[in-house]
Amino acid sequence: MSTMSYKKKRQPLTIGRLFTYLLLYAILLLVVIWVLYPLLFTVSSAFSLGDSLAGLTVYPFQQELGLRQFERLFQDTNYLQWFTNTLKIATVNSLLSVTVTTITAFIFSRFKFTAKKPLMMSMLILQMFPSFAGMIALYILVWRMGLLDNHLGLILIYAAGNIPYNTWLIKGYLDTIPRSLDEAARVDGAGYLTSFWRIILPIARPMVTFLAITSFTGPWMDFILPRLLIKTDSKKTLAVGLFELINGRENNYFTMFAAGAVLVAVPFVIIFALNQKYLTQVLASGAVKE
Amino acid sequence: MAKNKLQLPPLKNKKPVWASLGFMGLGQLLFQQQYVKGAFYTLIELLVLINSHHFIKAITGLITLGDPQPDLPIRQRPNSIFMMVEGIIFLILLALFILLYISNVRDAIKTQRNYERTGHYPGTRAFMSSLADTSFAVVGLSPAMLMILFFVVLPLVFSAMLAFTNYSSPHHIPPANTVDWVGVENFQTLAGRSLWAGAFGRTALWTVLWATLATTTCYVGGLLIALALINKNIRFPNFFRVVYILPYAVPAMLSLMVWRNLLNGQFGPINRMLMEWGWISQPIHWLSDFTLARTSMVVVNLWLGFPYFMMLITGVMTSVPKDLYEASQIDGANPRVQFFKITMPLVLYQTMPLFIMSFSYNLNNFGAVYFLTGGGPTDLATTQSGAGATDILMSWMYKLTLDLRQYNIAAVLSILVFLVIAPFAIYNFSRTKAFKEGEL
Repeated sequence: MSTMSYKKKRQPLTIGRLFTYLLLYAILLLVVIWVLYPLLFTVSSAFSLGDSLAGLTVYPFQQELGLRQFERLFQDTNYLQWFTNTLKIATVNSLLSVTVTTITAFIFSRFKFTAKKPLMMSMLILQMFPSFAGMIALYILVWRMGLLDNHLGLILIYAAGNIPYNTWLIKGYLDTIPRSLDEAARVDGAGYLTSFWRIILPIARPMVTFLAITSFTGPWMDFILPRLLIKTDSKKTLAVGLFELINGRENNYFTMFAAGAVLVAVPFVIIFALNQKYLTQVLASGAVKE
Repeated sequence: MAKNKLQLPPLKNKKPVWASLGFMGLGQLLFQQQYVKGAFYTLIELLVLINSHHFIKAITGLITLGDPQPDLPIRQRPNSIFMMVEGIIFLILLALFILLYISNVRDAIKTQRNYERTGHYPGTRAFMSSLADTSFAVVGLSPAMLMILFFVVLPLVFSAMLAFTNYSSPHHIPPANTVDWVGVENFQTLAGRSLWAGAFGRTALWTVLWATLATTTCYVGGLLIALALINKNIRFPNFFRVVYILPYAVPAMLSLMVWRNLLNGQFGPINRMLMEWGWISQPIHWLSDFTLARTSMVVVNLWLGFPYFMMLITGVMTSVPKDLYEASQIDGANPRVQFFKITMPLVLYQTMPLFIMSFSYNLNNFGAVYFLTGGGPTDLATTQSGAGATDILMSWMYKLTLDLRQYNIAAVLSILVFLVIAPFAIYNFSRTKAFKEGEL
């Protein structure tokens, strides 16, 4: 990372300046400790042999290390099941969202029909409502549909809730693809589906990838909805499972929780590191007003 | 879009239009030789008419919400909440039917106008070929529209309606009891002088204070770190950056639960560490003292949130065009002037929208409350209202729904919360590329 600064070169050191820099380094190092301590403490707890929070040493990695907590996690809890459940929900949600949203966006971008404008406007308004606003009704609806304690209900709600915003997003992108491209394909005899599949989707790939990733990562740490709709322990998602693992019994389960948390957090950090450059760009482009 | 609005001559023959207005599809069928289309419209109206008793029953149900019938066994008593949901479904169907009816009349007018200009009606073949286009759009759109209607619109309408009922524990929970419409009573409860009003006032105030504190501390913290690290005299800036970004990479929910344990009053390592050093003799109640819990929340949130602004501000600072600095140097500006006149204004200008978005996010930051303090500590009033000292409106609403079953109050809160965040949502969306460039 190049750091273009407004200062051209390093300034010569004076006593006063030296003091300022020592102070600055001291602060930066304190922040390093503050940032790292919880993370290191969690990792060290995950590899500890003791089962209680009170028994852990205050400084990380001062106790004997082992894999006992991971064994407990896999034997005594449904952790693996929670993990596969979440993976399943995230994957299906991603596929469903991408399919429904891209087709909807394609139609909004390329067709003219009677209620198009009002429909687009209502989606704009709908995406402003936070999803929790309809919590109670969702519960009753899912219950009446017989989908309580069933992953399908969860997936349908996730996918439906994201349609309005994502449709606008993808439609905006599709509008920038010249119409002449798919019209040419239509002249050559391709149907709408073919021109959508063969022409539009490949060009829109970056946006579709973005949509696929966000709808995949969304459900991993979502809490409210799965807590509301899923009751059976073996059907729970990771977020709810981990939460209920230690809720109210912190002392005796913290180390096991730490093991579970490390197993989720590590892939997240790796994905983050891989995407960091891209992510910074997205963040920066969000900041820079055109 | 400048549309050329032509003054159209009045229709000579209005009979088909009147016929379609009287019965859907009749005009198309009898006068306009639009057999397929007309039959479709007629069929729909017939279907609705045949099922009209369902419509009437569902909508009356929505209005009355069922009479209490205490002598019936519980399973057979009218369930107001199901009646409400079904009523809304039929209301939506009715709305769709009315829209279709309007489109039917408009179609009759259009066809008639076309006929009076050209002298003939479009044949069935022309209609069928246009149907191919339409059917792709209809088939393609319907999954999305159905999902939105059922899982987004219906729940929103339902919870808006709940705000005007007495659906709450212990006396108005179906199936044992019915629920009734109570007008604006719930709003009055929250605005009055009751225990609910007290809890509401405290929670609303803390929500705003919390969002302000949380956003400002993270912004200022991120700004200071970004400034320190962009200084050429600081060695290893990238080492610091990588470390500081870690809290942003770890899922916030997990970090919050870890912090909850670190700050545990009894066994938490932070208290034990401070005692080991001899700084304190008694454990500090980080999360169970009113003020301390609120402070801990803000500080832990700073841990979570400063990396985001650090990244953002660093990004903006490194992307300031070099020639701005060079030009100002020629004009005699020293680094200090450059910093205050070029760097800072640019950073503030470009990050302000994200500051505002972050503020609106924090207004509803359920996780920061629920996973860290669980809304606690509690006091005497909490037993009834459920609102703890660190609860924000969002987490209080969650408790009202799941633990206390005060659905009516929760619904009022969700309406109020929506009114507060709607302007932010509009602002946020009006900035997006899709909105600015996309045509409707």
